[in-house]
Amino acid sequence: MRSASDTAPTTGRGLLLARLAGLVVLAALVLSFPSLAPDPFILSVGVVIMSYAVLATSWNFVGGFTGYISLGHASYSGLGGYATGLLVIHTGVNPWLAMLAGGLVVAALAVPIGIASLRVRGASFVIVSIALVLILLLVFQSWGSFTGGSNGLRIPRPFDPSVLRPEQHERFFYLHAALLAVALLTWWAIDRSRFGMGLKAIREDEDKAQSLGVPTFRYKLVAFVVSAFFTALGGGLYALWFGFLDPIFQFSILVGSYMVLMSLLGGIRSLFGPLLGAVIVGYAVEYFKNQYGDTQFHLVAMGLLLAVVVLFMPDGIIPAISQLVARFRPQAASIREMTQADLAQQRRGAAEETDDTTDGASPSRENEGAHR
Amino acid sequence: MSLLLQSIVLGVLLGGLYALLAAGLTLYFGVMRVVMIAHSAFLILAAYLAWYFTTSTGLDPLLSLVVTVPLFFGIGVLMQRLLLSRLRPATLTMMSVLLTFSIALVIEGMLGFVFTGTQRRIRLDYGAASFEVFGANVAVVKLIAFALAAVSLLGLYVLLKKTQFGQALRATIQHPEAARLVGINTDRVAGYGFGLGLATAAIGGTALALDSTIYPSLHWHWIGPLMAIIVVGGLGSIPGAAIAALVLGLGQSLLQIPLGTTWAQTFFYAALFLTLMVRPQGFFGGRLAQRF
Repeated sequence: MRSASDTAPTTGRGLLLARLAGLVVLAALVLSFPSLAPDPFILSVGVVIMSYAVLATSWNFVGGFTGYISLGHASYSGLGGYATGLLVIHTGVNPWLAMLAGGLVVAALAVPIGIASLRVRGASFVIVSIALVLILLLVFQSWGSFTGGSNGLRIPRPFDPSVLRPEQHERFFYLHAALLAVALLTWWAIDRSRFGMGLKAIREDEDKAQSLGVPTFRYKLVAFVVSAFFTALGGGLYALWFGFLDPIFQFSILVGSYMVLMSLLGGIRSLFGPLLGAVIVGYAVEYFKNQYGDTQFHLVAMGLLLAVVVLFMPDGIIPAISQLVARFRPQAASIREMTQADLAQQRRGAAEETDDTTDGASPSRENEGAHR
Repeated sequence: MSLLLQSIVLGVLLGGLYALLAAGLTLYFGVMRVVMIAHSAFLILAAYLAWYFTTSTGLDPLLSLVVTVPLFFGIGVLMQRLLLSRLRPATLTMMSVLLTFSIALVIEGMLGFVFTGTQRRIRLDYGAASFEVFGANVAVVKLIAFALAAVSLLGLYVLLKKTQFGQALRATIQHPEAARLVGINTDRVAGYGFGLGLATAAIGGTALALDSTIYPSLHWHWIGPLMAIIVVGGLGSIPGAAIAALVLGLGQSLLQIPLGTTWAQTFFYAALFLTLMVRPQGFFGGRLAQRF
């Protein structure tokens, strides 16, 4: 429920040290993974999971801060990948420069897209994000002369041929980790800033935020463009690693939904939530594809996982587990810290209980539904 | 000239089917504020059931409606009561999108698992039959699909306008709190409304199965146009959705002459983005649609 900045003022020295230690352990785990991985396949799964972590963290710039759920972020990762690949092929520019340029191109494209889609909220926004992926899929499939169409696009390797496959995986693992670190640092910086405060105000109540003087539209747009930029970089890096792009897999709503699932599962309000989600979901995706790749059964597994997350842990796995633990603990006698949402939930629960006995009206519940 | 007329006839027939499918989406949105991404997945499910029914019994696929319509109605009621009503009201709209998306994934996965990814098509005696009207060729199956859509939309209209249940449903859509005050059990009505929406998917899916090749991932192909229709028409407005469906279906059909099939599909998305730029609440949506 609470983000890093909420607890910052009350943080003691011990907690700070514990956090630093946790960070060091996390970094050590990530850095030592390639040498611990038993074979190149596991290493490549590690790269995929890292790539998912980059995408989920990038998604969380919009989803976590503003509460706008985009199911279509695959449009930006796909565009980033294609921009990088096409730049390398057609201009012969340095691949890393191409990747950066691709990110900037996508960020520039995200400005008009954001202006159009951020005008509407909630459901319409999600619909627009889905529509964007479907358009791009159509365009990239039909425009064969430029994008390679359904035959796909082969991208030359950024390292010279003497670098073998496992070494290549290792290098890309570290590159993804570096990109992830930059994205996390940016998220953390925004989270602590006045800008981040404004974004979170939009998430809680956009109308109130606006009436308090937050320039909501501009803030949303900036967060949206930053998110698209990092997503495109993630897509570009993936394209350079994988070396092959196909519109069906690049512009897929499934990829976009993985980003949402990972972020929600890990917790969209916390810095490392999407990373945690990416490790869990990324591993599950690879496992299910490996086991049930021939049938469509992995879709069922992912669908059920998403449904469970949405129904039972919309705040993420950590709050869900801590709530479960709290349920078995004796109730504290002192005043408990509660968020507005918890209080509303409690009130609603009480209202519903009386509702069951009298079969009368429960205005509080419908009120909230109607005013959203 | 005859090509133009042909396109217009095809466009109207297609638009009628779109209108039926979009009516279901509008119902869900009206009664629950839910954007039902899984609608097109249920459409494909109904199409598969019709195909399975015909291949295993040899009877006309239209007869499968006797089973699928009540079945889908029941599934809709259960879905609303057991799943969607559990979501927190504060985040209902967003989370319902994700929840119905997950249902769509499960349906697609199960279809692939049970019927494999092979493309299927119903063989009909009258499958290739057609007749001419002023030089335009009208396929019988397309006409049947249109007639199904027209009859169900008319039935829906009569149900909503003339019956007591329809009155209760409309009251629930317009003002749930006031509806409860006059003694309407809005929870039950919402469940039935949801079931009604899903029943339209059973009819639409069967109509679809008559003249198209079906495969599990086909629903992605439908979800975009349907969503574009309800946004252009204004979320929650049934007449808006119907008019938008006809206009967009006709537009798509006409654009197929100069642009070809694939690019003509982008017309829906162009209309969607244009609508958002000019009128974010859609062309027939009221104050309500603006917030979503």
